[in-house]
Amino acid sequence: MTSLRARAVSGGILWAVVIIVLGLAGISSYMTAQTQARFTDLVQARHSQAVVAVSNNGASAVNLVRAIGDPVYQRPFSGQYWQVEGSEGQLYRSPSLVDASLPRPNTTQGGRVAREYRGPNGDPVFGIAEWLTLPDGSLWHIQVASSLRSLEADTQELRQTLLTAFAIIAFVGVLGALAQVAVVLQPLNTLRKEVSTRWEHENGLSVDSYPIEVAPLVTDINSLMDRNREIMSRSRRQAADLAHAIKTPSAIMRNELDTLRSKGVAVQDSIDALDRLDAQLKRSFARMRADGTDGAVGVVTELDTALGRMKRAFEALSRNSDKTFSATFDEGLRVRMDQSDFEEVMGNLLDNALKWAASQVRLSASQADQGTVMITISDDGPGIPKEERSRAMDSGQRLDTSKPGTGLGLAIASDLVHAYGGKIILSQDEDLGGLAVQLSLPAAAAQRPD
Amino acid sequence: MRILLAEDEPVLAGQIRDTLKSEGLTVDIASDGAEAQYLGETEPYDLIILDIGMPIRDGLTVLRNLRTGGNDVPILMLTARNDWTDRVDGLDAGADDYVTKPFHMAELSARVRAMIRRKAGKSNPVFTKDEVSFDSRTNQVMVNGVPASLTAQEIAVLSYLFHNAGRLVSRTELSEHIYQYEGDRDSNTIAVFVNRLRKKLGNDLIETVRGRGYVIKAAA
Repeated sequence: MTSLRARAVSGGILWAVVIIVLGLAGISSYMTAQTQARFTDLVQARHSQAVVAVSNNGASAVNLVRAIGDPVYQRPFSGQYWQVEGSEGQLYRSPSLVDASLPRPNTTQGGRVAREYRGPNGDPVFGIAEWLTLPDGSLWHIQVASSLRSLEADTQELRQTLLTAFAIIAFVGVLGALAQVAVVLQPLNTLRKEVSTRWEHENGLSVDSYPIEVAPLVTDINSLMDRNREIMSRSRRQAADLAHAIKTPSAIMRNELDTLRSKGVAVQDSIDALDRLDAQLKRSFARMRADGTDGAVGVVTELDTALGRMKRAFEALSRNSDKTFSATFDEGLRVRMDQSDFEEVMGNLLDNALKWAASQVRLSASQADQGTVMITISDDGPGIPKEERSRAMDSGQRLDTSKPGTGLGLAIASDLVHAYGGKIILSQDEDLGGLAVQLSLPAAAAQRPD
Repeated sequence: MRILLAEDEPVLAGQIRDTLKSEGLTVDIASDGAEAQYLGETEPYDLIILDIGMPIRDGLTVLRNLRTGGNDVPILMLTARNDWTDRVDGLDAGADDYVTKPFHMAELSARVRAMIRRKAGKSNPVFTKDEVSFDSRTNQVMVNGVPASLTAQEIAVLSYLFHNAGRLVSRTELSEHIYQYEGDRDSNTIAVFVNRLRKKLGNDLIETVRGRGYVIKAAA
C-alpha cells in the first residue's frame, strides 16, 4: 500500500530540504563574502587614514595621535589598533594598544602586506602593513590591525538570521504542500465516497464534475457498473430460460406419472423424485436470485409503479379466492432495490398472506425516515405463533403442511430483503389478528423534480 | 364449456386437452401466439389457457391484444417463469389467474372450473334446480340423491345451461360452446341431447322457448 498523500508530502519535503540547503549555503557564502569584503575595506580605509595622518604630520607623536582621532583607538584593547615606526627608531602606537605592539612582517621595502595574526592579548586580528617614504626622504612603517572577533560575530549573527528566515520558509512551505495535496486529492476523496454510495447514483457517477485527469477513471467505473448490471440481468434471463426449458418436460412427466398412478401402476418413487427435482430447482433459482443482488448498484424501484402493479395483480388473485385485498401507499416512495427483486418479495409475501387469510389482506407503505421505507402486509389468518416466527423464515421450512406450497415464500422474501440490507419482522397484526409482516427497505433519495 | 388451450409444446397440450375433455370440457388447441389470438378473437370461448412462452407471438402480447380488443373471457395464464415479475406482468395485463409449470393437472382443472363458475357469477360449485343437482367439480349429477349416468356431451349441454341459468340460450350458442372448432356443428343434434337429458332428469328442468332456445330457470 502506498499513499498518494505520503508520496506527495514526502516528495515535497525532500525537494524543499534540497532547495533550502542549497539556498542557505549559497546565500550564506555570498553574505559572508560580502561581510568579509566590507571588513577588509574598512581596515584598508583605516590604514589609508593612518597613511594620510603620517604624511601630514611627520614625526610628531602627539600630532599623530590627534590626527588619527577615532575614539575606538582610545579605548584599551578595543580591537582597533595602529602603529607607526620610523626608520630611525621612532615608535608611535594607538592608546588602545596600551603597552603591546604589533609584530612587524618580515618585509623591508615597499609592498603592502595584509595578513592575519595574533594581536594584543592573543586576539586574532587582520592587519595591513606598508612602508611609506615621505617627500623629506624619511621612511615609515605604518600598520593598522582590526580584531576579527567582530567579523565573526557579524557572520554568526547573519547565519542565525538566515537560519530563522529559512525555518519560517520551510514551515510555510510544508503547510502549503499539505494544503496543495489536500486540494489535489479532493476529487479522489469525492470519488471514493461516491463509489461507496454508488447505489444512489442511478445513472452512474457524473463524469463532468471531475477534473480531466480523474474523469477517465470515473468513466471506467461507470462502464464497470453498467457491465455489472448487464451481467446481472443476463444471468437472470439465462436462469429464467433454464427454468422454462426444464419445467415443461417436468410438467409432462408429472402428468404421465399421475395418469399411470391413477391406473394403479406403482410410480410413487418417480413422483417423489420429481417432487424433489422441482423443489430443488425452485430453491436454486431463489438462491441464485438472492446471490445476484450482492453486486446490484444504482437500482431504484418506484413504488408508485411497482405497488400499483402488485395491487392490480393481487386484486385479481384475491377475487379468485373470494377474499379482499386493499393497498394504501404514499405517493413517490422509492426503494433501493431491483424492481423484479422487489416484486419477488412482494409477490411471495402477498401470496402467502392471501393463502392463509380468512377474508382479507392489507398492504400499506410509507416513508419511515429518510433512509427507510416501511411496508406492512397483514392478514386475518391464523398467524404464526411467536416461538415459530424465526423458524418460518428459514429456507424450506413448512410450518403447516395443510396448504400447498414449498415453504419457500417467507424464506425467499427474507433472503432478498437481507441481501439489500433491509429488515423483515413478523408479528401479530393488532387489527386483523393474523400475521403482520413488516419490511424495512432502504429508501432511495426522492427524485429531483425536473 | 369450450376452452382455448394455447400451448406450443404438443405433448403437454395433448395431456391437458385429454384431462379437460375427460371432464366434459371442449378444447381447441392453438400452437402459437398468432393462432391463439385469431381463435380468441373469433370464437366464443368460455375460458382461455394461455402459455406465456409461445412462438410467433408471446402469450403476454396475445393477452394484451385480446384485452385491448374488449375481450373479457377469463384467461388463465400458464407460465414456466418462476418470477413474480412475470406473473404480475400477466395479471396486470388482464389475466385472471396463473398456474406455474410444473403443475398438477388436478390443480389446473380445478382452477379452470372455478374460473368458469366465477365468470358465470356462481359461488357455489354445486348447481341445484328442484330435485336435480349438478356438481361442477366432479360432473356428478344427482336426481333426488340418486346418481344419474350422463354422456360427456349431455354433461356439456347441462353444464352450459346450469352456468347460464336464468338466461335464454339459443341452439346456436349452445352448439358453439360444446363443439370444437371445425367440429360437426349440427344444432339439430342439440335437440337430441336436450331430449335425452329430459328423459334422465325429468321434463321440468330444461324449458324450451319455441324458436329461440332453452333455459334452466331460477337455479340456486
